[in-house]
Amino acid sequence: MTVAILIMSVVFAGLLLLNTPVAVCIGLATVATIAALGDVPTGYLTAQRISSGISSFSLLAIPFFILAGVLMGEGGMARRLMDFAFALMGRFRGGLAYVNTLTCMLFGSVSGSAAAAVSSIGGFMIPEMVAKGYKREFAVALTTTSATIGLLIPPSNIMIVYAIVAGNVSVVTLFLAGVIPGILMGLAIMTVSLFVNLRTGVGGSEKVPLTHVVRALGGALPSLLLVVIVLGGILGGVFSATEASAISVAYALIVGVGVYREVKLSDLPRILLRSAKTTSVVMLLIGTSQAMSWVLAYENIPQSVSNAMLSASAHPWVVLLLINALLLIVGTFMDMTPAVLIFTPIFLPVVMELGMEPAHFGIVMIANLCIGLCTPPVGTCLFVGCSIGGTTIARVTLPSIPFFLAMIVALLLLTFFPAFSLWLPGLLDL
Amino acid sequence: MKTGRRAIDKVGTLLEWLVMALFALLFGDVIWGVVSRYGLGRQSPWTEELAVNLLLWVSLLGAALTYREHGHLGVDYCTGKLAPPAQRLAAIVAECAVLVFGGFVLVYGGGMLVAQTLAANQVSPAIGWKVGYFYSAVPVSGLFFVLFSIEHLLNLFRRPESIPLGKEGVE
Repeated sequence: MTVAILIMSVVFAGLLLLNTPVAVCIGLATVATIAALGDVPTGYLTAQRISSGISSFSLLAIPFFILAGVLMGEGGMARRLMDFAFALMGRFRGGLAYVNTLTCMLFGSVSGSAAAAVSSIGGFMIPEMVAKGYKREFAVALTTTSATIGLLIPPSNIMIVYAIVAGNVSVVTLFLAGVIPGILMGLAIMTVSLFVNLRTGVGGSEKVPLTHVVRALGGALPSLLLVVIVLGGILGGVFSATEASAISVAYALIVGVGVYREVKLSDLPRILLRSAKTTSVVMLLIGTSQAMSWVLAYENIPQSVSNAMLSASAHPWVVLLLINALLLIVGTFMDMTPAVLIFTPIFLPVVMELGMEPAHFGIVMIANLCIGLCTPPVGTCLFVGCSIGGTTIARVTLPSIPFFLAMIVALLLLTFFPAFSLWLPGLLDL
Repeated sequence: MKTGRRAIDKVGTLLEWLVMALFALLFGDVIWGVVSRYGLGRQSPWTEELAVNLLLWVSLLGAALTYREHGHLGVDYCTGKLAPPAQRLAAIVAECAVLVFGGFVLVYGGGMLVAQTLAANQVSPAIGWKVGYFYSAVPVSGLFFVLFSIEHLLNLFRRPESIPLGKEGVE
């Protein structure tokens, strides 16, 4: 057992440090571990796990939600959602900061991708905030952290990934479980903006005439309707989560090409290819991770980790704090998808032993790893935000710290009060 | 050498169109599943099976394509701090790892998988094709992984400055 862990960790970490694609690190670490087991057809077994890991109907939702997200980003939905958010919050002092966060939350409710949110929303929000006197670094820090909230607000691809590896929770339950935590995270970030607004005094309020509110609502309505169709369709049993994702592509296509007219038909091959590539990155990770989970389970590693952690401390709060601390560290250097794929099979049995619901843990894990998306050295949202905002990681780090602290406070609330996650799904008997 | 590179570029472009076409087909297939269920009252039985297998093909072929463009997620924090010669060495080892992954896991292991399912004469329930044909996505994409890793390695040996820099983020 210990030999297997050792081989797996050494191969994985060694290749990872050399900048080998994470999926390949996972695949080869699995191969090395299986080979050490002895008399088994290593390559065959790994290839089989990869192909059966990818060929899953629930995973089909991922390429479609990615495609829908790209279509919405390019199709003008993000800007109209911002207009709508502005109509709602522009009247408050320093309203632009809240508008930013609210737009990210609204965008998260139509798309499931944080990096797409940073680039589509940051692209016009950051210059706008700078023009109104906000510090550029603050605007970038605000956008990158706000954009991650979209991962908690359904639909969300990372929740589908979690549901696949957890194996005992439905995508719909997770989607619903994320709604209130997403709002809580948003409020936490808005609170930081409130304090910064009060201290610096930048960002005046703007009168928003009622006609503008109505016009903004009209513009955003086709985008907002998507949430109703997707969530309503799934909850009402009209179609599965996978079918809902395909419907949302069809809908985004109709709105982007037909209604808003910002996507040209000639753009479609490029959009299709871009989405297929993003999909393939996630899928190869899922395939190789499924192979690795098989070896982990074969070697009883999750059980051993669980025993070790529970023997260190039997107090649930201590274990949960420990797991959260570990995930925060992991999140700083690893992207969310591989982190969820690798650590769910290890930590989920531990927390379930403590009586935690899988849906609750999924939300905690995702909320936790959201923070890592905005932290150096490796943070996808941070990278996109800095390049969009024309600033450097070093400059954004300091103004990001209050946001991280606020997110950690929200994370602790989510961890220790399961009701935030479980109340809504429970209401619908899920 | 030049003709070799042009040939690989052609393969890449061909692969791009193939992936796009399969992805479009996948979308049409799932939509048809919903339409046939509500429009015709009975879902076409083959839609789910086809979709799952198309996903396998799109994912694996797309993964090879993305690898060619250094688009997979990696951790470039440590290698970024190395001196250029060491960086080059690290890149060579990383490319060799992909070569082993593509050759041993995907081509050899995947080939065995295809051979065994074909030998067992396993037939897919709805479409009625041999399952082995669907699984051939694994060794086929493996060949592309091998091809592109050799391309990367040749570039690294020929032009030391061609070390992959940033990685495009996912999602």
